[in-house]
Amino acid sequence: MMMPLLHFENLTLRHPSLERPILHHIEYTVQQGDCVVVLGANGSGKSSLLKLLDGRYKTNEGKIILKNKNILSLSTQERAGCIHTLTQNAQDNLFLNLTLFENYQLIQNKHKADEIDSLADYLRAFNPNLATKLNVLVARLSGGEQQAFALALAVLYPPEILLLDEHTSALDPKTAEHLMALTAHIIHERQITALLTTHNVNHALAYGDRILALKEGLVHDRIERNDKQNLTAEMLMARCY
Amino acid sequence: MIGLLLATLTQSLTLIPLALGINLSYTLLRATDMTIDGSFVLGAGVFAQLSTMGISPFIAFLVALTCGALAGTFTAFLQNGGKVDPLLAGILTSFILYSVNMAIMGRPNINLLNTPTLFSTAFAHSTTLGWFSVALAVGLIVVAFYTLLQSRFGLCLRAFGDNPALLSRQGYNVTYLRVAGFSLNNLLAAASGAITAQIIGYADIGMGVGMTLVGIGAIVLGQHLILPLVKKQYLRAGSELLAAFIGITLYFFILNGLLRLNINPIYLKLLLGVLLALFLRTATQKASLP
Repeated sequence: MMMPLLHFENLTLRHPSLERPILHHIEYTVQQGDCVVVLGANGSGKSSLLKLLDGRYKTNEGKIILKNKNILSLSTQERAGCIHTLTQNAQDNLFLNLTLFENYQLIQNKHKADEIDSLADYLRAFNPNLATKLNVLVARLSGGEQQAFALALAVLYPPEILLLDEHTSALDPKTAEHLMALTAHIIHERQITALLTTHNVNHALAYGDRILALKEGLVHDRIERNDKQNLTAEMLMARCY
Repeated sequence: MIGLLLATLTQSLTLIPLALGINLSYTLLRATDMTIDGSFVLGAGVFAQLSTMGISPFIAFLVALTCGALAGTFTAFLQNGGKVDPLLAGILTSFILYSVNMAIMGRPNINLLNTPTLFSTAFAHSTTLGWFSVALAVGLIVVAFYTLLQSRFGLCLRAFGDNPALLSRQGYNVTYLRVAGFSLNNLLAAASGAITAQIIGYADIGMGVGMTLVGIGAIVLGQHLILPLVKKQYLRAGSELLAAFIGITLYFFILNGLLRLNINPIYLKLLLGVLLALFLRTATQKASLP
């Protein structure tokens, strides 16, 4: 039996320069362990929803309830223990001018955890090249290696919610496909609750448990687990865009 | 030539803590902290005033360091609370410090020639012993600074310089790290000011003018020469310290060389400014290569 973990309650985000709210009266519940794919055209509010969750955007309208607590009142730092975000930009995910090991140390230090037995072995599962580059600056890794490393750090101490904001969109198709499959495998294997934004409807169908479609800041459609099985990519595109 | 080298080395020695402070702000925190122009004088002024009042040189030195750290804290406060741009915050603090330094010193110049200092006993014994004691004091500061940079705290400071937004999202208190970083680099500048005042025998209200620029130019030059030779990441922190030392030494070598060529002192800053511009230009060109 899945338990509700996260609930958006009448969530609204406005910007002074925009007439229409960026997000308007969003109501949605995310179950524990679910991978919810958020679909929508550019400007529909997908990324803004994730930025409200991790604290990069602020609002006073509505609530985001995580485990019975409205996290909108928490600072970015206070949310850090339970929410981790990966975006398509490596500089949003990693310290580019520090080594892989130093990036790991910062995460490990913050979680006050013991050092893992072999960081190299742990990273090998994400990308074999990473295992030999512990003392290399992250800036010197390829884009695919950087995103694989960012994913490895994100799930090292699994967060309550993992936010994946088009995290494969800057990669070449083959690398993106590989990283998406790896991400899905890990979040399902470790039962991590995730919100994933993408424009790839095939990924949404293949890897999402449920789909939330946004249009012009409003909830446009909700596709549940059972409904999703009967959809083709074309049908999903027609419903969500 | 030996005289030129000795003059260069002794002048460089007193400014090594300053170079470390500028290395911290410019290279690690990625901020140009102009507070240093004022905190250098603050360190010298506080030390000179307290020493001439008969207070122990050791205590006067510690108070001077604390005052430097407080100046850095104020600059960080302007950025954190006042939301002032880092460069402007430094210029503003340095501007304010001119009055503060005058108020502390009471006059534009304090003579220390007949006042006991940290090094006066050693220098009274012999010049060699005097310089050895200065080198020892600077060495202790370098070792403490290097140890700090190698610690988890040092890693957090470097992460702050690289990406403060990400560090905040990871749950670190970036407000505290900004205060710590700016306090530390101004503490080091104040240490240099206090040591310099003891060596040259006076504290002067104008002795800090252009110090930040000189330090940045020297560090850029040093890094331009040293860092391309360093391939291993674990040698990076040590090589940055070495680059700071070599940069500041080369700067004084050129300065003393120009003086010995009987260049009119009126044009000295003009020539040095052009030289610094060339250093910075070369380094920028190098950095922009693919």
